[in-house]
Amino acid sequence: MRSRVREFDSSTLNESVQNTIMRDLKAVGKKFMHVLYPRKSNTLLRDWDLWGPLILCVTLALMLQRGSVDSEKDGGPQFAEVFVIIWFGAVTITLNSKLLGGNISFFQSLCVLGYCILPLTVAMLVCRLVLLAELGPINFMVRLFVVIVMFAWSIVASTAFLADSQPPNRKALAVYPVFLFYFVISWMILTFTPQ
Amino acid sequence: MLQQDSNDDTEDVALFDAEEETTNRPKKSKIRHPVASFFHLFFRVSAIIVYLLCELFSSSFIACMVTIILLLSCDFWAVKNVTGRLMVGLRWWNHIDEDGKSHWVFESRKASSQESKTVSEAESRIFWLGLIACPVLWVVFAFSALFSFRVKWLPAVSLVAEGTVSQCWAVTAGCSLLQAVVVMGVVLQGANLYGYIRCKVGSRKNLTSMATSYLGKQFLRQIVVEIQRCRGPVFATASE
Repeated sequence: MRSRVREFDSSTLNESVQNTIMRDLKAVGKKFMHVLYPRKSNTLLRDWDLWGPLILCVTLALMLQRGSVDSEKDGGPQFAEVFVIIWFGAVTITLNSKLLGGNISFFQSLCVLGYCILPLTVAMLVCRLVLLAELGPINFMVRLFVVIVMFAWSIVASTAFLADSQPPNRKALAVYPVFLFYFVISWMILTFTPQ
Repeated sequence: MLQQDSNDDTEDVALFDAEEETTNRPKKSKIRHPVASFFHLFFRVSAIIVYLLCELFSSSFIACMVTIILLLSCDFWAVKNVTGRLMVGLRWWNHIDEDGKSHWVFESRKASSQESKTVSEAESRIFWLGLIACPVLWVVFAFSALFSFRVKWLPAVSLVAEGTVSQCWAVTAGCSLLQAVVVMGVVLQGANLYGYIRCKVGSRKNLTSMATSYLGKQFLRQIVVEIQRCRGPVFATASE
């Protein structure tokens, strides 16, 4: 699930397994850094990979588990729900941006949208820690603040990468579904209670 | 005398050749990358085993599904990036050029004279067997998941009979997680299968197209020569 910009001659065809693993791990790490400090750059778009989105999606889905993990009836719906929402949402946004005439490929768009879930995953982690304290209005305000900040961060990060690929008069039309997508995920995070 | 000598020489040479053949054959069918071969099969087979036996492994349905998802992803990465190029010298990837257009590249290692670069028979057999058998199994699982409920969900189905929406959602979401995992298995392993078949067909097509064009030219040349040679009698019979 990886693309490369460099031309592949026999040197990379015959490289050692360790080199391949380290190269891919470094690429994933670099993309996470890019999401945390969004700058206009092409790295996320050129060398796409779907490892980050998979890890983030599984982590988020596991953290959104309600009740005990052992009970199958409780755990099932939330995990499937989150998984399906994230992947179907990302595919729909990608189709939308392609139909609007954007020159971004399918997997690149999935890559960007998936990696920009990182701030919301951090928000989920913080919310779970905050929920260990007593519930109350202060608790809720803290969680609301954290979720809003991370939501804004996700939007800024993803539009920094995606907006360039659209024709100028269609930028708002392309960004609006991204806004909705992260809003739905933020809503799921905010309304999560461990009961 | 000379003939006898040459006969002795040829006999010696023949024996030498026979020895070399027997020593060469095991080399070609020896497994040169045992670790890669092991991992090629390990991830695929263990994903299938966990899927079939998830009740035995853990009472948590989610843990089983997450394990299968992780195994399928590792298998996809390993087969695409490592075992393909080590075992059969094929590789496929996606390349995005300066204009932002994406190209799919299917590459195969050219046959070289070096012994270490040729493909060994045993590895090739293991590779293609694992590559083809497992997606077929996942497709079978997809059909069976589509048409039958798993035994786990029978208690949930009886709750659905009471008619609450949340329990309906529990059954459908649970079934959909199972089907999502099976679909993921089919898609990931099918993608690898498709990519490698295209690599293989691509390399073969170059050879066959070259061969057919060369043979075609030779054939045409022969026909023209024959016609020119037989021009007299052919025209004579035609005019009759």
